[in-house]
Amino acid sequence: MLRSILNRLLGMIVVMALVVTIVFVIVRVTPGDPAAVMLGPDATAADIASLRTRLGLDAPMPVQFGRYILGVVQGDFGQSIFLNQPVTTALAQRAEPTFFLTVFSLLIATVIALPVGILSAYWRGSLFDQAATTLAMFAASVPSFWLGLLFIRFFAVRLGWFDTSGYGGPGASFAERLNHLVLPALALGLVSSALITRFTRASMLDVLNDDYVRTARSKGMSERRVVMKHAFKNALIPILTVIGLTAALLISGAVVTETVFGLPGVGSLVVSAVLRRDYPVIQGALLVIAGLYVLVNFAIDMLYLAVDPRVRY
Amino acid sequence: MAAISVPVHQEPNILSRLLGRPTSAIGLAILVLIALAAILAPVIAPYAPAKLSIASRLDPPSMAHLFGTDDLGRDVFTRMLYAARTSLAVGLAVVVFASIIGIVLGLMAGFFRKLDAPVSRLIDAMMAFPDILLAIALVAALGATAVNVIIALGIVYAPRLARVVRASTLVIRELPYVEAARALGIPTPIILVRHVLRNVTSPILVQGTFIFANAILAEAGLSFLGVGISPSIPTWGTMIAVGRQYMDQAGWMMMFPGAAIVITVLALQLVGDGLRDLLDPRLAKDI
Amino acid sequence: MRRLLQMAAVVAALLPAFASAEPQKGGVIDVATVGEPPTLDPMASTADLVGIVTQHIFETLYTFGKDWAITPLLAADLPQISDDGLTYTIPLRTGIKFHDGSDMDSADVVASLQRWMKVATRGKQAAEVVASIEAPDANSVKITLKTPYAPLQSLLAFNNAAAIIIPSENAGEDPMTKFIGTGPYMLKDRKPDQFIQLVRFDGYKPLEGESNFYGGARKQYLDEIRFVPVPDPNTRVEGAVAGQFAYADALPVESYDKISGGKTKPVILKPFGWPVFVMNTKEGLNSDIRIRKAIQAALAPSDMLTAAFGSQDFFAVDASMYPEGFAWHNAAGTDAYKPDGDTEAAAALLKEAGYDGSKPLRILTSRQYEFHYKMAQVAQAYLEQAGFKVQLDVVEWATLTKNRTDPKLWDIYITHSPFLPEPSLNGFMSDTTPGWWATDAKHKAVEAFNKESDPAKRAKLYEAVQQAIYDEAPIFKIGDFNALAAQSPELKGVTPAPWPYFWNAYLEK
Repeated sequence: MLRSILNRLLGMIVVMALVVTIVFVIVRVTPGDPAAVMLGPDATAADIASLRTRLGLDAPMPVQFGRYILGVVQGDFGQSIFLNQPVTTALAQRAEPTFFLTVFSLLIATVIALPVGILSAYWRGSLFDQAATTLAMFAASVPSFWLGLLFIRFFAVRLGWFDTSGYGGPGASFAERLNHLVLPALALGLVSSALITRFTRASMLDVLNDDYVRTARSKGMSERRVVMKHAFKNALIPILTVIGLTAALLISGAVVTETVFGLPGVGSLVVSAVLRRDYPVIQGALLVIAGLYVLVNFAIDMLYLAVDPRVRY
Repeated sequence: MAAISVPVHQEPNILSRLLGRPTSAIGLAILVLIALAAILAPVIAPYAPAKLSIASRLDPPSMAHLFGTDDLGRDVFTRMLYAARTSLAVGLAVVVFASIIGIVLGLMAGFFRKLDAPVSRLIDAMMAFPDILLAIALVAALGATAVNVIIALGIVYAPRLARVVRASTLVIRELPYVEAARALGIPTPIILVRHVLRNVTSPILVQGTFIFANAILAEAGLSFLGVGISPSIPTWGTMIAVGRQYMDQAGWMMMFPGAAIVITVLALQLVGDGLRDLLDPRLAKDI
Repeated sequence: MRRLLQMAAVVAALLPAFASAEPQKGGVIDVATVGEPPTLDPMASTADLVGIVTQHIFETLYTFGKDWAITPLLAADLPQISDDGLTYTIPLRTGIKFHDGSDMDSADVVASLQRWMKVATRGKQAAEVVASIEAPDANSVKITLKTPYAPLQSLLAFNNAAAIIIPSENAGEDPMTKFIGTGPYMLKDRKPDQFIQLVRFDGYKPLEGESNFYGGARKQYLDEIRFVPVPDPNTRVEGAVAGQFAYADALPVESYDKISGGKTKPVILKPFGWPVFVMNTKEGLNSDIRIRKAIQAALAPSDMLTAAFGSQDFFAVDASMYPEGFAWHNAAGTDAYKPDGDTEAAAALLKEAGYDGSKPLRILTSRQYEFHYKMAQVAQAYLEQAGFKVQLDVVEWATLTKNRTDPKLWDIYITHSPFLPEPSLNGFMSDTTPGWWATDAKHKAVEAFNKESDPAKRAKLYEAVQQAIYDEAPIFKIGDFNALAAQSPELKGVTPAPWPYFWNAYLEK
């Protein structure tokens, strides 16, 4: 048991180290110059060179890598070149919209997917099942940015129910900010409901065929109790796993969705950082997101280990 | 499509079984149709794809221009046919590239115990990045060209395949006839190719179909964000990205390529589902 | 000209009826801008966006009044220039307070101008001719030049890479961390990518009298101005249609009809600026003047502008470097500009230059501004017709701004500029900006122009500059284009300007 945990912990540290290196390599081979972007269109080559020196961009690669590792180990991701604030601050400021967008999308996706998935499995092969399965597949085929654009046109511009973009001005109340999240969460949630629906259906089918469900039925238990109490309860663990997985996928979806809706979240921060060549921000954001993913995975592994001691790594 | 022609030794009549499922048959039919349209683009297309005609820009759909014209007066239908070529080619190339990396990594991790830990950790590290984010960063690093988009998406999707291949390899490695072959001193590469690779074809085929679908969506997403393939090369993604600016004056510029993506991705998923049910008995029981 | 007058009528209709009710104080406006400014230090950047936001916080000694005439702002009057054109004595206004409550005096001005010459791109340009800056007393400064330099006043008045006045104790800062100016609004809060919040500065002392474009009295009706970055142009348009912003800047002109049908009204600034193809005269194909002349002949501005801006309401096919209405407008050299291109002439020139079609002409462009890219595509078609092999290098703006500084990487790059009030502010007038146009003919024309201080004579001397531009084709001006913004019907008192400003603006209840 302890060995398993230690092994896994060691593995995680190795993965983290690899993540840190991959991020540095990707970011530093990127062409383009943050100094030139900052100084504007009429800047001279000499101006740009002196700003590069000030930003530490002219140091040799190994030196830059050393500085970077030293910072990362201390939890210091450096200073954003463009925003002129620490990367950690920039990320913290952007965390809220991304967090709530992910939570709401997941909520919407789950609220749609669970009942549809359960009923599909229960009425396997029925018209409902076929329609639901096809619709789920259709939802998974729609580019989420496209859906977002259609939502903006219809709900925000034509009907005027929501703002088209942004996250409220200074001093916007929490309710106002949430209002800005409705459309993006809907666009993202609908698209990601597909995966959960299909997985719920498959897991339910698995258990509906199991012996104890048949036994429960043969005992004359009501159908509703059979489905909800016995089958669903047992299908819950794989379903929860897939919901967790979807949460990770949502961060990817959030990148595009945040950009469409002008939400100042972590996803749009990365996109603009790439366009501005704000190296420290790209590094920091990628590190934090990938790091979270590794940590969450580790936590899940530990959970499984606690639930089922036979699991070995 | 092309994936179907890959020999699958334990399922020789896979194609006919696939056609036996109505949903897969429909998916397959759509794919064949789109592939034909793409291949025959120079024959079918009524215009040259790059022919500018500033005077007839933003013309709505008509007999002369089935899907209307774009902002530079080019025929949208023609460009969609040529876009199908690039979009499908990009998707297919991503699958091939991801497969090559995935198979090599997966085989190495699965077959050689010593390599398992380092390769698996590398795969874990790659999987830790959300796919679009990693693709954006990679394309920015490599430069926004079609080839680099393929490379970036290939790198993004390879770990998934590597995991599948590794898992299958781990199982196959322990099979009696593989052990026997090792005992007989048959060189490892031959064992890998003859026994292992043949047996992982099915999961690769299934995964590959879904990666194909994902790659088409991802390419569109990258183009939409303006960090993908150069807009001068027509792909469905780049056409939407340009068409978005004319959403109101010329909705057709964005609607038709968008529909093409939805239909193609849907068809790929239908086929992928069918393949999985037929080839992967573990998941086939919901039929 | 008639069109210009029509426009003026439209503009006038949008302006407040001064005769009626006095504008009320109060209110908050959201202004959608093209993105997050890279800095709020207007010295540190030449980006238009930086100028737009920071001109509310910081002020310069001079600014531009009606018809782009130089008018005093923090200076009490126009400078007294010595007869030899070498000494500028600038009287300062008194009782001016900074946002931190301290008083502005000549020490602040000297320290600020020193910082400007060290930090700002345009300041360094000035530093080449400035011998010294001194403060004879608390309320005036004296600038001594090495050689007569007429553009100096314009440099001091310009709002990007701007010669702003800040407290002397902050002038040592680079990068700037304390955003303390003398402007009518002061910085309250900034959340990058979300908003920049400005509030009224109660210690502001406006000039007496009427307002005069950027100059004159600056009235502080609004309580708060918030600049909201909305980098995607389509999102700005959607937001404008839905009435989310009191003002939305830099919209694609072709969304005019869509804006008209929405909750905010379209505002056109005509003419706004000029798209330009900059040629690399230093290395590669375009170091050969015959190739450049072939490009000049091959390009068809009419089609390029149509593709980029749609209807003629939004652009003008115009060869003069400055459109009608500017003192600099003239027709010198413009025969070389062919609205529909002259493919045959171009082909002949190419042949004469010995171009065999093997080496591609590399056009560097980005999609930061969609119209750049559209013009590039049309240009490609016309250049290919003339016999060029063309390679479009579409990169991100960040990469473009870097790559253009390397003469090995490109033959043409595409950019645009508003019509700058002083021709010498244009990048190509200097030898060192990318393009590196530096010939005897240029130097002769530009030096004569920069030495002369009499406006009428300068306008005449500018003809020679324009002639040289057309003779040697270091740049190709495509034409004039208009800018589109959207403005809420309640928002009044905004004068259309290339860098919109919101003092004098008010909300009608």
